[in-house]
Amino acid sequence: MSDIGPELPEDEALAAEHALGVLTARERAAAEHRMARDPAFAADVQTWRARLAPLTDEIAPVTAPAGLWARIERMLASNDNALGVLRRLRFWRAATVGSLAMTAASLAAVVFLAARPPEIVTQPRAPMGPMMDARLMTDGGQPLFLAAYDPERKSMLVASLVPPGADPDHSHELWLIPSDGKPRSLGLIDPGASKAMPMSEPMAAMATEGASLAVSVEPLGGSKLEGPSGPVAAVGKLSRL
Amino acid sequence: MPAITTSDPLAVLLPRIASGDRAAMRQLYDATSAKLFGVCLRILSDREESEDVLQEVYLTIWRRADRFDAGRASVMAWISTIARNRAIDRLRARGPLAYADPVDDLQIEDEAPGAEALLQSAQDGAALGRCLSELDDRTQAAIRTAFFEGVTYEALARRLDAPLGTVKSWIRRGLLKLKGCLER
Repeated sequence: MSDIGPELPEDEALAAEHALGVLTARERAAAEHRMARDPAFAADVQTWRARLAPLTDEIAPVTAPAGLWARIERMLASNDNALGVLRRLRFWRAATVGSLAMTAASLAAVVFLAARPPEIVTQPRAPMGPMMDARLMTDGGQPLFLAAYDPERKSMLVASLVPPGADPDHSHELWLIPSDGKPRSLGLIDPGASKAMPMSEPMAAMATEGASLAVSVEPLGGSKLEGPSGPVAAVGKLSRL
Repeated sequence: MPAITTSDPLAVLLPRIASGDRAAMRQLYDATSAKLFGVCLRILSDREESEDVLQEVYLTIWRRADRFDAGRASVMAWISTIARNRAIDRLRARGPLAYADPVDDLQIEDEAPGAEALLQSAQDGAALGRCLSELDDRTQAAIRTAFFEGVTYEALARRLDAPLGTVKSWIRRGLLKLKGCLER
């Protein structure tokens, strides 16, 4: 009889359900957030994924379309370190292709911006500094936010890939962490939104290559502390386009 | 560095991929793309969307190969999980009740999965299969449908024509039993 008997403890049940794939988009996003801040929960999800993975053996292989490898290889090329400046840009475009269904609108501004660097890189170094971008990923490697620093306007453009309406009980706060390691708040970003966050002159000077960006999950309205008070959901580093 | 066991022939490719070796990436693609395309199609039932997701999956592998931990999972299990997750994300983007139409006109590849891959996963698969078969039929059906179709509880309840709470309870109890059985 399956109508009686114990169930899994709530936390592990959620981990198992996330691994099985029965959660809604919103619950999935919440579970990914939680994996980023709760190692025990993340370990439970991984364990359940490993338990269920053998089921995929039952899925019959289907030959992938002939041209697909060529498409992938073109994108690998642009992700190759040797290609330098254009690497991040093309890589970013590649990554956005897969997320378009959910985020086409919110990414439009960022992608538009990303489409400009060839002019910039072929010009002598502009006095205001280079154009940079960052992908902010969870521990599990899922991109949750995209950011681009626009040196001309001294602002950080950020797009949230978290489904709109997810996590209504928290605010997501973007932090710039320069070489001194001290986080500076850039502002709040709603799930699914994209916005430009203007930066003060001293703050803009800290947006250098290799500086980290992070998003923390905060009480509504943002952290009351000087730095993040809640768990960090995603991190990335600024690198030149 | 610990020796890489021969039980997972794909595991040797991951460090090479992490260092940017495109030939290794091509080998992994050749060895696994049909499997992963099958996984995406099973969940999405749409070739075009499955192609997009598959492309994204291999780019994720390319970027994240350094995160692969041979001690935790086989390469196939790791990349199949990535493919399932991305396909489910794509399915959810269609809407909360979305599920794909049943697959019927897909061209199934004649070629069986590689002998090595079969050998490697046979043991795990056998244990899981045995433990699933210990569940009652409807629980087993609910878990299988959830896994293979990537649908939400709500869509699953509609499919199985059962109340949401009941389906949730079947699955939660079923998963607990599954865990107990696999740990025996």
